Amino acid sequence: MANINVTGLAKAFGSVMAVDDFNLSVENGEFVALLGPSGCGKTTVMRLIAGIAEPGRGQIVIGGRDMANLPPERRNVGLVFQSYALFPHMTVAGNVGFGLKMRGVRGSEADKRVADALALVDLGGYGMRYPRQLSGGQQQRVALARALAFQPDVLLLDEPLSNLDAKLRQGLREELRALLRRLGITSIYVTHDQEEAIALADRIVVMNAGRIVEIGAPEALYRTPRTRFAAEFLGHSNLIALTVDGGGLRLPWGALFVAPADARMLCVRPEELLLAADPNGPGRVVESTFLGSDTIHRVEIAGCHLKVRQSGRSAEPLAAGTTVSIRVPADAHLLAA
Amino acid sequence: MIPGKLALPFLLLPGVGFLVVFFGTPLVLAVFSSFGIGVIGTNASGLTLAHYTELVTTRAYRDGLWFSIYLAVVSTLVSLAISMPLAVALRGEFPGKRLFQMLYKMPLVVPTVVAAFFVMLFLDRGGMVSRVLLPWGIEVPRMVRDPWAIGVITAMTWKAAPFMTLIIAGAVASIPDDLRHAARTLGASPATVFLRVDVPLALPGITAATLLTFIGSLGAFAIPNLLGPIYPQPLAIHMYTNAFEQNKWGLVAAMGTILSLTACLVLIVYYRATRSMRDAFGGEVR
Repeated sequence: MANINVTGLAKAFGSVMAVDDFNLSVENGEFVALLGPSGCGKTTVMRLIAGIAEPGRGQIVIGGRDMANLPPERRNVGLVFQSYALFPHMTVAGNVGFGLKMRGVRGSEADKRVADALALVDLGGYGMRYPRQLSGGQQQRVALARALAFQPDVLLLDEPLSNLDAKLRQGLREELRALLRRLGITSIYVTHDQEEAIALADRIVVMNAGRIVEIGAPEALYRTPRTRFAAEFLGHSNLIALTVDGGGLRLPWGALFVAPADARMLCVRPEELLLAADPNGPGRVVESTFLGSDTIHRVEIAGCHLKVRQSGRSAEPLAAGTTVSIRVPADAHLLAA
Repeated sequence: MIPGKLALPFLLLPGVGFLVVFFGTPLVLAVFSSFGIGVIGTNASGLTLAHYTELVTTRAYRDGLWFSIYLAVVSTLVSLAISMPLAVALRGEFPGKRLFQMLYKMPLVVPTVVAAFFVMLFLDRGGMVSRVLLPWGIEVPRMVRDPWAIGVITAMTWKAAPFMTLIIAGAVASIPDDLRHAARTLGASPATVFLRVDVPLALPGITAATLLTFIGSLGAFAIPNLLGPIYPQPLAIHMYTNAFEQNKWGLVAAMGTILSLTACLVLIVYYRATRSMRDAFGGEVR
């Protein structure tokens, strides 16, 4: 178990900076998610930490050990691949025991630790099978067991759930969370799925175009993002511009809004807006989608398109064209413009 | 329309028929005539083991068989030792890779006889290598018509290594990089990755390349004829002289049968030895 300190990390592919000026400290036992759109450099960061790619600049320190010029086999980092990368010519036990074998652990000690690792992921008794005889979800768990069996200092997971179907993904997500919390291993988890990041991580690092955009705890990032990119990438945000008019701030539809004088942009989540049918209201329903427990209304108001999520009893779909009024909560989050 | 039951045999007829007529028939006739029955040559004598007896009891032929096997085994192993690391190297990026990829295939288009002459020009006494080394007082050992057939093996390797590299490189290229990376993060050095990941996973390609090279080398004629020692001579040369100089077609058929059996035997042994490894390749793995 160890902490991770990354400073000034940069990596270019040709003229494109895949990762630039990347700084991150991960505490002992912390679970950090790297979140961003595809091609944002999050997988490259992971490969640089694991040592299977060479950084152009920067320093990586794991548990006080500088990783510079240390080949991957000497970093003691567990890596779970998106493709699982199980060895097809080895049994499940052979796969899980590979890291132990490389460390000279043999015989009954190795057998015991392989069995323990497989039990950890609920695959006890699958040791003699070959990877191709397992389902996708089982292969994923073998990959996890393999990365944990040799007791790495840190665990890196590269979109480990993205090859699974939605239902399985959710189940495994919860298992993974419980398992890693129990083991208390320092982990970095790469994903492009914001829901996964929010559900799993202690902290989320939002990345775009090779750089860190924002770092924060899931709730803080969701409720009070500092950047527009994070606000828009984590779930849906309604960004509402404020205009200065006669000493006050006004919403696009003219309503007054009380906020510090330099506020220019509101970030309001769909579930925070309140909507009511109002014959004299400034807004107009474009479309209502009934989702069972919730209803999503798309509302056009003073040239602004808003998404409103109503739940419970007020989740009544409205006919397109219904005029509505919208209430923005007084403590709505202000975004630095 | 052809009725369903007959459709498959009908569709297979051109291919299978060709093989039966032009490949199977001569093979069967050759085996028959090795036992003295049949139509190849003029001296069919009725059922006899005399040809095999002659083959086994004549020292030159016995040595010839061993020499054929020696040439095939050694040149295949040397080619494999060259092409395996080369195939792995070709997976990576290095300056001049494209040029190298073009150059290494050149021996494939050079006819065998021409390759033999190249080797003769280089390695024979008074050849280029000995002339270059002479001023330094280095004397090159005999490498053409030498008892260890160094020249023969060099020429055969020169022809076979690019072919093996081509096939093995294809097999190596189909191994996902993630597997190698996974092995590295689990603690394997590059050499261990080569032995535990690359070699076993490229095994189908290695098998194909090795067997094709071995079987081709077993019947080598032109190269040993030009570069090989006076004694022993591989069975292929004995076959030629017995057929066209001695007119002993029955004996030739027996030699051919023995060579084919040797090839089959090697195939069986090889498949047995690698079965457990191949079993692991039965299905698609993501």
